[in-house]
Amino acid sequence: MIPILLGVSLGAFVFLHAIPGDPARMLAGPDATLEDVRAVRSRLGLDRPLLVQYALFIRNAVAGDFGRSYRSGAPVREVLGQHVGPTLELSIAAIGLAVVTGMGVGTLQAVRRNSLPDYASTVFSVAGISTPAFFLGLLLIYVFSVDIHWFPSGGMSGLRSLVLPAVTLAAASAAVIARFTRSSLLEVLGEDFVRTARAKGVPGRRVLMRHSLRNALIPVVTLIGLEFGFLLGGAIVVETVFTWPGLGWLLIQSIGFRDYPVLTAEILLFSLQFLAINLVVDVLYAALDPRVVYA
Amino acid sequence: MRNGLTRRKLLQFTGAGVAGATLFGGGAPWVRRAGAQGARTLTIALAADAVTLDPFNTNDNLSLTVERCVYDGLVGFTPDYKVRPELAASWESSKDAKTFTFHLRPNVKFHDGTPLNAAAVKLNFDRARDPANRLIRLSLVSMISSIDVVNETTVRFTLKDPFGAMLFNFAHPATRIISPAAIAKGEDYIARNMVGSGPFRFVSWTPGQQIVLERNPDYWQSVSRADRLIIKPVVEDASRVAMLLAGDAHFIYPIPGVQVDAVSKASGVTVQKRWSIYANWVAMNCQHAPFQDVRVRQAMNYAIDKSVIVNVVERGYARPLDAPDTPGVAGYSPVQAGGWPYDVAKAKALLSEAGFAKGFETTLWSGNQTDQLRLGEALQQMLAKVGVTLRLDPMEAGTLSAVRFKPFADNQSQMNLAGWSPSTGDADWALRPLLATQSWPPALFNIAFYKNPQVDAAFAAGLATADQAKRNKIYADVTKVIWNDAPWIFLHNGQNLAGVRNGASGVWIMADNTCDFREADLGAA
Repeated sequence: MIPILLGVSLGAFVFLHAIPGDPARMLAGPDATLEDVRAVRSRLGLDRPLLVQYALFIRNAVAGDFGRSYRSGAPVREVLGQHVGPTLELSIAAIGLAVVTGMGVGTLQAVRRNSLPDYASTVFSVAGISTPAFFLGLLLIYVFSVDIHWFPSGGMSGLRSLVLPAVTLAAASAAVIARFTRSSLLEVLGEDFVRTARAKGVPGRRVLMRHSLRNALIPVVTLIGLEFGFLLGGAIVVETVFTWPGLGWLLIQSIGFRDYPVLTAEILLFSLQFLAINLVVDVLYAALDPRVVYA
Repeated sequence: MRNGLTRRKLLQFTGAGVAGATLFGGGAPWVRRAGAQGARTLTIALAADAVTLDPFNTNDNLSLTVERCVYDGLVGFTPDYKVRPELAASWESSKDAKTFTFHLRPNVKFHDGTPLNAAAVKLNFDRARDPANRLIRLSLVSMISSIDVVNETTVRFTLKDPFGAMLFNFAHPATRIISPAAIAKGEDYIARNMVGSGPFRFVSWTPGQQIVLERNPDYWQSVSRADRLIIKPVVEDASRVAMLLAGDAHFIYPIPGVQVDAVSKASGVTVQKRWSIYANWVAMNCQHAPFQDVRVRQAMNYAIDKSVIVNVVERGYARPLDAPDTPGVAGYSPVQAGGWPYDVAKAKALLSEAGFAKGFETTLWSGNQTDQLRLGEALQQMLAKVGVTLRLDPMEAGTLSAVRFKPFADNQSQMNLAGWSPSTGDADWALRPLLATQSWPPALFNIAFYKNPQVDAAFAAGLATADQAKRNKIYADVTKVIWNDAPWIFLHNGQNLAGVRNGASGVWIMADNTCDFREADLGAA
């Protein structure tokens, strides 16, 4: 895990500095003289050699200090802290929604294979996968806030403001989860042990829930883990459309200002989230599949 | 351009969304009703949060706006952007524009009780002009060579070179006077707290939520003021408008052009429209073909129909530029009433004279905000009529600034859609950074790479005296030269639009895009 994070930090550092744009110039403003820009550059430590900057960053990061935001001068930890909550709230709501609808629809599709509900929901899930989030978001805003005034068009103000962004964010994930659940479950339903279970008179519901679904869930759980990782980091578009003050929104703001410390910390945080989720997923395997044992 | 459609859609949606948001705004829990919190609390919603509270390290308008409430300068600006006395009751400058003496009001105290005297003023400016302190606004004061405390209430500044515009630097919203006791507490303290001598005292700042100020009962100028000011960052345009309409805010800024109609039709609120000093123009690279030829640059000016830009693109909240700077700038005088005339035939004639009868292709750099894209597209259509094919190259702000500030040898710019607001409100800063040979990037913002020794000499003369009548004459003459040289397509000057709830007074959007709440008050609604 440490080598991965180190690699990510180096990659982030290199790529961020490769983007055109000078943070000192951005911060000093368009009417700044070279004198002002130099003052800011030296204040931010950007006048040091890149290697020294990176070494300093790593040394401080190891001690848990990610520096200060170029823009506000506040410690990066404090800045991230203000935006973690909204993103967590949105991601958890979205993944919950995606799992419930995705697995529900997928199971229904598998059980009622080649029926009208199967076809209808297939159409919906393909549409869900292929509709970009920004478009769906705008569509929902247009219908539900502009036309019929059910939900606010943006901002973070209580539960009601959570609905549209969560639905937008959940749509694609729900569709993918549904497709996966369907195919995985179909495969399991064709296995010998399912036929055996049916032959020995196990009730249909029990065959489905205990025997089939549990087996079918293993790849689905992997997928859900990945999706959740994407939601945590990939909410950029949705957070921007709905001006949701989360980490994705912060990322966009910080790129605009070339706020390297905040950006690097965010990228590291996203990587860390992925690593953590993968760990949780691995542990879940053991819970679902008795054969998997972590010694 | 790829994102043009969606961005515009988004704007339309949010625009139309005002009505929707209004409905929810009324019942929304995010603010208590304005006025419910005590005797006379005035609530203000602005588009962003402050970044810092240290004036000399401030570059954004929101922070300057908040700082203006709590801090005084030696001099300041009126809401109409004229220099007025603040801590200094009077002042004089030497003939050679090298010595400036200020006479302070006696017995003024900072909010923490520290006396405000000449020594405190000196300490502030010594801090600001020390390069080791690396403050963003260093260049406003770096020409000062020494500061003398003549007596308790007299302070004298001596400059390295004559700088006739110095009074405007002293009036700049960043040159405020901080309590020495607060400065002693360190940079982190004054970045987060304000201890000034102004009409309002700092109470608290909850980042992302609100800044609270309260009336300073001991202020030297007794004018009726609200007891409390609450300044909230409300990023989303529709939410800000909804707050105003629902009575949750007394003043909001800005109102985007698409939503002005909705606000002006609502009852109980008015739209405050005040001219900015922001000049919009297109810089043409004067050092490269085809814009090396002054006839081509003039033809480009003839080819643009400013009335369409003003009335269609800017929805009527603008007027054509009639000089390189704008009314409201000290030293401005109009060059051509009504702006550069629109004359396609003349544009074509000038182009063929210059050898471009068949036109040419060129590229326009601009920002990627919706208003910039709209403007770029309008220019593209108009220039097509004289045979000029304009490729639009909108860029993200950081990238744009990086390519624009490249030194001449590496600079690829042909045409640049840009603009300028002189934060000192003076002609020197409105022109010199944009048109002096010394201001070529990366030094400053002469992105037209305009070079005229006569103009350079005039800029120097304008700084060599602090006699405003003389300076006015110098700038009136030089702007005529610039106008005829046409290094830019002179476009327009716009209005700043704010919303005010009836009953609120003394709340102003200013020409430099900051706000003035120093006399904010609340009568009966």
